[in-house]
Amino acid sequence: MSKSKKIVVLGHFGVGKTSLIRRFVSNSFSDKYLVSIGVHITKKVVEISPTESLSFVIWDLEGTDEIDTIRDAYLLGTHGALFVFDVSRPSTFQNLKEDLKIVTAKMPKVPVLIIGNKIDLVVEKELKELLKEHNIDYNFLTSAKTGSTVDTAFLELAKELNV
Amino acid sequence: MSSFKKYSQEFITKNLHFYLVDFKGLVVDSNASFMPRVVNKNITSIHPFFECFSSFADSLEKEIVFNCVHLETNEKLFITDVQFVRKEKEVLVVIQDFTQHYTTYQEVAQARNESIINSELIVLKNKELQEREEFKNSFIQNFSHELRNPLTSIISLTKLLAETDLIGPQKEMINFLLESNSNLKLMLEDVLSISTIASNKLQLQEKAFNLNKLINLLEFTYTAKAKQIGVEFSLKTIGKIPEIVEGDRLRLFQVLTNLLDNALKFTEEGSVSLLVSLNQTRANKANIRFLVEDTGIGIPEKDQESIFESFKQLNNCGKTDGTGLGLAIVSGLLQKMGSKIKVESVVGKGTKFFFDITFKIPLKTKKTVVSKNIDKELLSAIKSKNIKRFKLLIVEDDEQVQTVLFKVLINTDCFYIDLINDGSKVLQEVVNNSYDLILMDVNLPNVLGNHVARLIRDFPMDSINKIPIIGLTANVFNNQEKGYIKDGMNAVVSKPFDTENLLETILRHLK
Ligand SMILES: Nc1nc2c(ncn2[C@@H]2O[C@H](COP(=O)(O)OP(=O)(O)O)[C@@H](O)[C@H]2O)c(=O)[nH]1
Ligand SMILES: [Mg+2]
Repeated sequence: MSKSKKIVVLGHFGVGKTSLIRRFVSNSFSDKYLVSIGVHITKKVVEISPTESLSFVIWDLEGTDEIDTIRDAYLLGTHGALFVFDVSRPSTFQNLKEDLKIVTAKMPKVPVLIIGNKIDLVVEKELKELLKEHNIDYNFLTSAKTGSTVDTAFLELAKELNV
Repeated sequence: MSSFKKYSQEFITKNLHFYLVDFKGLVVDSNASFMPRVVNKNITSIHPFFECFSSFADSLEKEIVFNCVHLETNEKLFITDVQFVRKEKEVLVVIQDFTQHYTTYQEVAQARNESIINSELIVLKNKELQEREEFKNSFIQNFSHELRNPLTSIISLTKLLAETDLIGPQKEMINFLLESNSNLKLMLEDVLSISTIASNKLQLQEKAFNLNKLINLLEFTYTAKAKQIGVEFSLKTIGKIPEIVEGDRLRLFQVLTNLLDNALKFTEEGSVSLLVSLNQTRANKANIRFLVEDTGIGIPEKDQESIFESFKQLNNCGKTDGTGLGLAIVSGLLQKMGSKIKVESVVGKGTKFFFDITFKIPLKTKKTVVSKNIDKELLSAIKSKNIKRFKLLIVEDDEQVQTVLFKVLINTDCFYIDLINDGSKVLQEVVNNSYDLILMDVNLPNVLGNHVARLIRDFPMDSINKIPIIGLTANVFNNQEKGYIKDGMNAVVSKPFDTENLLETILRHLK
């Protein structure tokens, strides 16, 4: 049996957390926005190598623009986190540094990958300049819509957790 | 068990599900409610949510609550609050079904989040549109500016050419050329105006000008223009229109000529009139209405807004002569001046365009301040007091008042004047110079004039604490005046002041 790892997906509402999970878990996408409340939990086995796999228990948390209002109970026993922002809405990444500080304060030692989603909506080159200008570091730029880099991001997290 | 107890038990447990779970995660007991009744199986088999059970079991927490957890079992979704309570040998897991409650909450959150995201997107979109608009405007502006020079050369060369010996149809061709050139020039000026307004590069002047003269000039020009096309022109003024006002003469002129030209353009018979009326004067401001009325073709109600939009007009360009930008320019200029163009029109009857502007009336025109009005006796009285000139210190921060005072006092030829606008520097000035009199505004920035007067009076040197001080104030209430005098001012003159009164007061207090 593969090791089970709890992943929480964080970020403002509407950035595409649910969509990223859906793309990763069931390889599908919907344009319709259904606001998530509370928490949805799904499970997916991730093959890291032909012989190794991890079982991800993914917690899709209700999005909020105030990260510090996340209920601590949700974070209990978390192994890894994705922090998602929406590259087409600056309000979701303007305070990224502060938001991340709060996240790491709540979950010290938990690896957090930063993901800019909805890359299909912008010109990548311009976006990269903008993010550089605002001094924003990220790990992956993804699109839940096209599927671009979604698996890569989750897989990267799996690798980090498999040590 | 009594039947009441039985029923109530049944009712309470309908929305409550319990599992008793050992610390390894094995379900020891379960009631029969909305969740699956499993026993002797690991709790994680019920739903992946329960994988967090081991973290709780391993922790020191006595109790933990998870709100709003979505648990789907047997194809059914429950939105629940889940509670883990640590007992002696087991953990009690309490699951409360709040599906209905949370579904309502979801709808609220849906509406809220959607509206927040939409308004964010609108802001972003507007920003983008604005940037595009700015780019377009500055492009048009630069471009039309560039066109001006070659056009000027074309126009002057054509004029030169017109004066040479021309044969056959050449003369007619040149005339046509001249006409087209001047149309082109007018259109270029219009485009330049509208793009200057739209790109916020327009700087308005705030200068005193003669409104009467401007109105007379318009009357003269448009009487002639109207006559040419067989239309009547009339000017009417209502109320006492101030002669001198402060504002941007050129832009007001541009607005009125645009409206009058427009009125003439669309009026084939009847009249065009300009009405200037005083709405009200308050303090030193006058609100004036300008109304241009014609008996022309009129504007259908549905077009009455779009006639002020520049690019709608550019689209229609060609239907009438010129760019058709005139009204857009009018509307833009008035907006800059803090006013708004309004229109009333009946198709076939005629059109009224009107707007109200508040002008500042310059202080010096309120009371005539010209040297010839000053009483000769008064002046000789001042002069007889001293062979040399008196030294005056003026402490005043308002530039207009400064100018007026200067004019009045310099014209008498009796004074040397020093001017400062900072009350906190007065004492220093007074100590370093020997003034015969101080004229001081009461309402100075940072410090009050009467407090400065108090300081001077308390200064331990007779040559300083005896200097006459005349206060200037716009606060005209008597009790305040008394207070100022108590503070050491010799007299108080209220603004706007009367020249003679001021000079008289000064004279009275000079030694
Ligand atoms: N164009 C585009 N739209 C996306 C992408 N990811 C999510 N969306 C849309 O964004 C909206 C919010 O997505 P959702 O996953 O519910 O965001 P969450 O609130 O963070 O869970 C939905 O309308 C999605 O269809 C993406 O990569 N590209
Ligand atoms: Mg969601």
